[in-house]
Amino acid sequence: MRSNIFNGMEKGWVVAVRGAALSLIWIVALLFSACERTLEKDVIVDNLIYGIDTIPVYSSSAEKDKLKTTTQFISTAYSQLYLRPIPSGTLNELSLLRSAHGDKNMIGELVISHFLADEVVLASFPDEEDMQADPEAFVEQTYLRFFLRLPTAYERYALSRQIAGDSETSVLEVYRAFLLSNEYLYY
Amino acid sequence: MKRRDFLRNSSLASASLFTAPFILPSGRVFARSGSRLVNHVVFVLFAGGIRNQESVDQGYLSTQGAGSSGNILPNMLSGAGPGGALVHDPWVPALGSPISQQGTLFRNLRYAFGPTGHYNGHTVAMTGNYTDTGLNLNLNPDFPTVFEYYRKHSEPAPNARSCWWLSTELGPYPSLNFSRHPEYGPLYGANYLMPGYGLGEAAVQYLGGLQTLHPEEVSRVQGIKAQLDGFFNQGPAQASGVRNTDEDTRSIQQLYLDLLSGNDALELPLPDGIPSYLLSGDGANIATGWKILERFQPELVVINTTNSDVCHDNFSEYLIALHKADYAVGWLWKKIQEHPVLANDTLLICMPEHGRNLEPNGLVDANGLRAFDHTSDENSRDVFALIAGPPSVVAQGRVVGTPSSPVGESIDIVPTIAHALGFLEAIPPGMLPGRVLNEAWA
Repeated sequence: MRSNIFNGMEKGWVVAVRGAALSLIWIVALLFSACERTLEKDVIVDNLIYGIDTIPVYSSSAEKDKLKTTTQFISTAYSQLYLRPIPSGTLNELSLLRSAHGDKNMIGELVISHFLADEVVLASFPDEEDMQADPEAFVEQTYLRFFLRLPTAYERYALSRQIAGDSETSVLEVYRAFLLSNEYLYY
Repeated sequence: MKRRDFLRNSSLASASLFTAPFILPSGRVFARSGSRLVNHVVFVLFAGGIRNQESVDQGYLSTQGAGSSGNILPNMLSGAGPGGALVHDPWVPALGSPISQQGTLFRNLRYAFGPTGHYNGHTVAMTGNYTDTGLNLNLNPDFPTVFEYYRKHSEPAPNARSCWWLSTELGPYPSLNFSRHPEYGPLYGANYLMPGYGLGEAAVQYLGGLQTLHPEEVSRVQGIKAQLDGFFNQGPAQASGVRNTDEDTRSIQQLYLDLLSGNDALELPLPDGIPSYLLSGDGANIATGWKILERFQPELVVINTTNSDVCHDNFSEYLIALHKADYAVGWLWKKIQEHPVLANDTLLICMPEHGRNLEPNGLVDANGLRAFDHTSDENSRDVFALIAGPPSVVAQGRVVGTPSSPVGESIDIVPTIAHALGFLEAIPPGMLPGRVLNEAWA
């Protein structure tokens, strides 16, 4: 059941970022040959931001202790919803927009709402029926997609239970909650 | 230890999200303090670097040897306008009598220490402490801002929607809504908005069609988010800025969406017959500030104007910008006096962040007028301050200070605001080196 629900999403994800991955391999190669160690870390971070692979990047949330910048927050959310890197013009405009407000969470909610109102984004969502049919599989894939890690057993149990216990809960609402969570502010 | 402090502050921040405001029968969110002079303060940082020669001295073109003297700030100051050889198109004042007649003018007030840079000047005015930082670093200031003092030391504690900082530009200015001080910070910060971007074209494009979520949807999302947050060992991020309560977040989002969708419109500070394309950035900032005042009646608002900084290379445009900013301030004061809650209960303070040099910089504009920089000469440390308010609170039509005997300093505005809003005594000793500008009171 799990693979039936999410295979399409995984494939699309990989295809969408293949070009970016090849570019980053070249960049990493250049940095290994010429740059200091701190720059290597930057490139690794970029890999995480653009979600190049669906395999777990973090073994636990405790590994996330750095705050995303405005640029990182917006570009990460965009790429994980649209399954492709954000155009530079859009990133610049949305970064300025976020900088122009003092409550970053409040304006972040609106930017996320803009993304989540796009038909292109909604088309990549799994079906509601599939989520309700196998909440645990949905929870695992959602953790991977947005938190880049697998849920702990209790996290999987708790969220699955919440989804199963309220038939009104939608994929959109779960995704919105992940994007607005404290963990999503960190990498 | 730092981590422990962070977690403690984060917990406090989280707890504050669930603190419901106390709504008084009058509609006020917070009770009046007995020691307050007023319940609202609007501080207009009449910034961009304004020379006293063109403001309170009313020199107009005479200091250039190119024309008459005269008052170019008819909404703020008393005095006849320039007689001839005008480089600006005079606008009919928004007010029947200037604000100085409804308050006290500190004609010569000192910006005593530190570089006369824009960010420095803003920082000094908003923290009440001089700073020698010479660069426009995109860092929150070291000393607490007036917003943090207000939120930490007022009883009952105001929420973030009670105080606002609006700037005409981005750059380092978004950093002035809270400090890096370990005892204060974003937990006590103000809401910030730069209307040019925050409500500009990109905002309309990306957010204009959005609608606020249905309460049931909000409830379900918050339930899941709370669960996710419960599993994560970091609290709300300090770098995520000031935090509003959930209720306030919805109301502020609603205001933004109303404006972006066209369901609500900004009133523009322009005289009848003046087309909207002549609205300056300063005017747009003040118009947005008024919308926030009108919608939320916050207790503390700081708004800046900066267009006059064009004086670096164009003295004529500097005069035009001054004249427009003056109109916007007069328009704002008129709006405040027409509002049922704000009228007769609001203190208005206007002060440039610093002045400009006595000597020109060598650049000449199309009218042959010389331009001026601001490089910390004595002239650039000479500014004015205007404090207006109800006659029972503020001395009306009083003028204090002379060039040879200035009264007050830039660092005095924060303690003056703190006194007016009744929280000065609660601020720990040693935090504010300035004094209350008591000469202003009736």
